[in-house]
Amino acid sequence: MGTLTLAVPTGRLFDDALGYLRRAALVHTLPDERSLLVDAGGGLRLLISKPVDIPTFVEQGAADAGIVGKDVLLELERDVYELVDLGFGACRGVVALPAGSAATLWQPGRMLRIATKYPRIAARYFAGQGRPVEIVHLHGSVELAPRVGLADGILDVVMTGRTLRDNLLEEVAEVFRSTARLVVNRVSLRTRQDRLRPLMRALQAGVAR
Amino acid sequence: MRVRGTQSTRWQRVPEGYRDLVPPEAAWRAELAGRLRQVCARWGYREVSTPTLEFLDTFQHGAGPGIQDQLIKIVDGADLLALRPEMTVPIARLAATRLLPEAGGPLRLSYVAPVFRVQEPGRGRMREFTQAGVELLGVAGADGDAEVIALAVACLAELGASDVVVHVGHLGFLAEVLADLPPSQQEEVRARLYRRDYVGVAEVAGGAAGRLLRALPEWHGPGALEKARALAASSAGRAALDELAEVVELLEAYGAAGAVEVDLGIVRDFSYYTGVVFEALGPRAPVPVLGGGRYDGLLARFGADCPASGFALGLEVVMSLVPAPPQARTDVVVLVDRASRTRAAALAAGLRRAGRRVVTAPGASGPQARALAVREGAAVLAWWDGEDLWVEDVATGRRERGTARWLAGTLAARAAEAGAPWGH
Repeated sequence: MGTLTLAVPTGRLFDDALGYLRRAALVHTLPDERSLLVDAGGGLRLLISKPVDIPTFVEQGAADAGIVGKDVLLELERDVYELVDLGFGACRGVVALPAGSAATLWQPGRMLRIATKYPRIAARYFAGQGRPVEIVHLHGSVELAPRVGLADGILDVVMTGRTLRDNLLEEVAEVFRSTARLVVNRVSLRTRQDRLRPLMRALQAGVAR
Repeated sequence: MRVRGTQSTRWQRVPEGYRDLVPPEAAWRAELAGRLRQVCARWGYREVSTPTLEFLDTFQHGAGPGIQDQLIKIVDGADLLALRPEMTVPIARLAATRLLPEAGGPLRLSYVAPVFRVQEPGRGRMREFTQAGVELLGVAGADGDAEVIALAVACLAELGASDVVVHVGHLGFLAEVLADLPPSQQEEVRARLYRRDYVGVAEVAGGAAGRLLRALPEWHGPGALEKARALAASSAGRAALDELAEVVELLEAYGAAGAVEVDLGIVRDFSYYTGVVFEALGPRAPVPVLGGGRYDGLLARFGADCPASGFALGLEVVMSLVPAPPQARTDVVVLVDRASRTRAAALAAGLRRAGRRVVTAPGASGPQARALAVREGAAVLAWWDGEDLWVEDVATGRRERGTARWLAGTLAARAAEAGAPWGH
């Protein structure tokens, strides 16, 4: 039957994902976030990686399934099955501008420089709105960009809105809502269904709780 | 020979998404293509070849405007051309404009051809890859579908891809479920199905149809057909399932049922598929080995209304699945020096006419020639010394003097003993 490989993201979703797997009785001991490959017992192997790499591991079949935020899926548009909304890790993707500047900057037709970790989502959103935009791709500390004059505003995920307030930014538009999802490789879905079905059932049951 | 090695400048590299094939790889791909050609020929399919470039309009007309983003385009004078991203549309164009008007019956066509698609960098996908496939034009319904799927199974068996299973679904069933949704939702749900976003499908589509669609990825294997039949509300949906059952029955008769599974979750995202669709999936391949289906509307777009079905197989995917056997061996290495060059050339030519694989070693020393023989897998080394022909067994070092005729006989006997190698 062979081992089933499940990719788990480091960072924001790590603790929630592991807690979730433990409640679903799929994992009995908590692995360290810095380990890379962990035998979780019961024929399940955990592959722990950066969130942004998880769709790649799953698309290429290096992992049969993975847990990853919808934000990453929207950005990367990889060819994977998105099967279960796990519910945790809820956040929203928003456009935010320096507080008080919306009246001048957030005008139709006004060219904006937007710093973001999500260049493709940003390009799609602004194109869909018919707003001209210049996108600055950053990998972290996006909220810093307007303060140092790198960009007019940002497109980033927010949970509580505190980071925005701390950096004197205000939300002007919601772009997407995100939660953690279970994604599955398109071949594994068929060839490993004997192993994947119990996993999906357990995770769906976890959502229902 | 001296080689200065780095590949630092652009003229030494190839663009991302393209690759060279070195001798064992190129020979292996050609061998696989040759096996497919043989199988297709046995089924009565005749090979066609179309231009690498077509008008951009041809692909858009055939596959819909969505194909634009996948096309590598070229401005040639006043014309906007595109490298073919697949072969079905070019063959539909060729058949509808030139072959079908005179055919007077079904057409069976096959191809092996490089195709080209835009790929995002860093995604591990090639921009150029080789497709081998067939198109069956003029045979409607289950008869055509079963023939094409049985041929796909025969091709996979011939390639040695034994653990690959062809998953067969029907877009007619999907269309029926979609028709139950309000018209405003249908497009959005279809788009999400193409993206395999089943969480999104459930968000948009409520009710019984939503529940059914959401479960689609699990509707495969024994019993899937019966389960679906119990739920099919309309006659159109039932007709689709009946057709699928007919195909399965025929595949049993073809002896192909063991390599086939009903799978209603197969959704193929080319805009031209209309009925039975299928994908071959194996545990060691992250992407389908082959895919295809029925496209009854495509030929009409090119002026010949005609039912059609076919499949395309990715040769490089097969290469990654099936280990290449050892390469064909050279039979003999012939040493050539200044004094013996004409005799050596005549000897080599004579042996080649007799069907032997001969490599010459001009100006090589004894040790160099022996090293070459080992590399080429040649068991025998031969050279002229004045009037005398010397033959050395590379493994034992034993030398014998003989004639060209005797050498030809010895090599023929060795070749017969080794059996026919793969190769060309």
